[in-house]
Amino acid sequence: MPPPFGDHVVGSFRILQFESEVSRALAEDTFLTDDLLRQLMGVGEVDLLVGIYSHSNTSTTSHTLRAIERSFQQHFTRQRAVIVNTCGGDKDEGNAAAAGLSNVAEKNVRLAESASLRTVHQVTGDFSAPPSAAMALRTILAAADLLRARACAVVSPATTNLTPDWIANLLRPICQENVDFVAPLYTRHKFQGLLARNLLYPMSRAIFGCRIRELYSDEWGFSGRLAAVCLSQDAWHEEPIWTRPEAWMAISALSSDFRYCQVFLGQKLQTTTGPGTDIVEVFRQTVGNLFWCLESHQSAWLDGERSEPGQTFGPDHELTSEASDLDRHRIFEMFRSGVTELEPILSSILDPETHAEIKSIVSLEESKFKFRSDLWVRTLYDFVASYHHAVINRDHLVQALVPLYRGVTFSFLVEHSDSSPAEMEAVSEGLCLEFERQKPYLREKWKAKVEVKS
Amino acid sequence: MRQTILLGLEQAYSNLVHMIADFLPRFLVMLIIIVLGLVVAFVLKYILRAVLGLTKLDRVSEEAGASRLLRIAHLPSMTVLLSRSIFWVTWFGFILVGLSVLGVAGLQGQISRLLQFLPEVFVAILILFLGLMTANFLSRTALLAAVNAGYPSPRILSWSIRFVIWILAISMTLEELGVARQTVISAFSIIFGALMLALAIAFGFGGQDLARKSLERYLGNTKKEKDKEPQPL
Repeated sequence: MPPPFGDHVVGSFRILQFESEVSRALAEDTFLTDDLLRQLMGVGEVDLLVGIYSHSNTSTTSHTLRAIERSFQQHFTRQRAVIVNTCGGDKDEGNAAAAGLSNVAEKNVRLAESASLRTVHQVTGDFSAPPSAAMALRTILAAADLLRARACAVVSPATTNLTPDWIANLLRPICQENVDFVAPLYTRHKFQGLLARNLLYPMSRAIFGCRIRELYSDEWGFSGRLAAVCLSQDAWHEEPIWTRPEAWMAISALSSDFRYCQVFLGQKLQTTTGPGTDIVEVFRQTVGNLFWCLESHQSAWLDGERSEPGQTFGPDHELTSEASDLDRHRIFEMFRSGVTELEPILSSILDPETHAEIKSIVSLEESKFKFRSDLWVRTLYDFVASYHHAVINRDHLVQALVPLYRGVTFSFLVEHSDSSPAEMEAVSEGLCLEFERQKPYLREKWKAKVEVKS
Repeated sequence: MRQTILLGLEQAYSNLVHMIADFLPRFLVMLIIIVLGLVVAFVLKYILRAVLGLTKLDRVSEEAGASRLLRIAHLPSMTVLLSRSIFWVTWFGFILVGLSVLGVAGLQGQISRLLQFLPEVFVAILILFLGLMTANFLSRTALLAAVNAGYPSPRILSWSIRFVIWILAISMTLEELGVARQTVISAFSIIFGALMLALAIAFGFGGQDLARKSLERYLGNTKKEKDKEPQPL
């Protein structure tokens, strides 16, 4: 039976509207390439979009693409779906990725197997050189906006054990619960992710009121609405978000009253690419990014109050405690020498009282050493205020925090060598509350008129 | 005889009157130029102070380490120093122009030479300031990198970098001013060459172990050392 005439008219109108939007995008000085726009026009509107940055991870891209495709086949059989693959530099890479998705000659469109009732499209954003993470995300957001995708996710080929369920878990809260930002939760070793545990999570929670444990992750989900808002923001040229745009996206969502949630994904295995444990690079990418977000979103948090717990699907945390080969003595020595050698720099960043307290604990013996949580919070708030007032070069300021973080790490390792996950959680919760308690101190220092120290 | 003396005196008086009549307007013009210069210099000084205040030069100077040097030399802040400099340079320029109006023989050449030298002084000050900024920035970059990587004696490394850039900046400044050009270039080449040779010999003979360890660290064992710290994310 042919469809009613009204449906036909509405359908035609939608197609015309979509084509006019694409034409408008074409007419504008868009950053999308002609080839990508052509591919997107061929796809039409979609319900789901999953983006990946396949550059520098050629070997695992095929696995990731297969996982996404299976996820669509198993969990979203009725939805129209597209995979946006951004790659650059290596021509073989794009070919390998396409081969991973399909063996048919035409790489951009293929019919999904048995269960799916819809076509799963793949479009490839091919850059002449590997794009930055921000550029890749911007391309994915622009594609989501053009294709009017309702639910989107970004996954990383660097995650070697990505499963179809992970992708479904990231997309489902957006489709079913009208959530706008979905952050992942992973199973962690108890001494893994200490930067997130002792700095990124408690600080972002206290300041922005967002209880997202994995603010810096390689997998996350977002709604089409949030994609449009982020796309329209004038932040894409900012250096701090080039390598880690995801936290900026989460904070933008929270600042605009979008809904967020966390979903538990499981244990994550990664390839060895990326900054890994190069602590200075990790600090630049995450702490530098968070400090910049504080600066750029100050209107959202300066008058904000306590954080509210968000929705979490699955366990809030899961820790394992296998034996680990960590050189505590070396960490402590690097803290001690760092504080001593960087004294002139730290004196220009820290409040004199805070600096004096840090110098006093440096002289303690290793066995008696403890970096108190109140001192750590005050230290961080001094750093944030100094970053805001640009007391010294901001990149240098972020790097100067590394030795102090080592002190906190050493203290944490000693304190929790035999702790249970529940005990560690209790201590972490206490740290979060300390960050919230000292927030007025940050406000005061933030608003204070800067004095050039002699 | 008496007539001749009277005529001479009359001539001298007439010459004096002519000279005064000729000199007085020029002197007045000179005074006007100097007073005008004073006003212009004051205006420029306050405009520059306001502009530098807006651009937060003092903070940049503090960050570059230039303020510390100024304090050691008992000099005021960078903004005050530059605004005072512009005042004096402007006024001095006007004074020279005013003096040239007097038309004193031999003074014209000296004045024009002095005026030609002023831009070089400015360029020299700029080179010195940029040199100090670069030295401070790079030495701090080296200090942070060395401390965070756990290298021994990071301050020596940092100070070496600062010292080399200072020497370079000072020799460039002196060369710009044309002070003992050949001597400065030779001295710089000798000091820099000697420093590099000393470092190479010291590293080659005295630091064989250190060289081996450094190479091992860069080429092979980086991951092992990093693994001894917990994964931050």
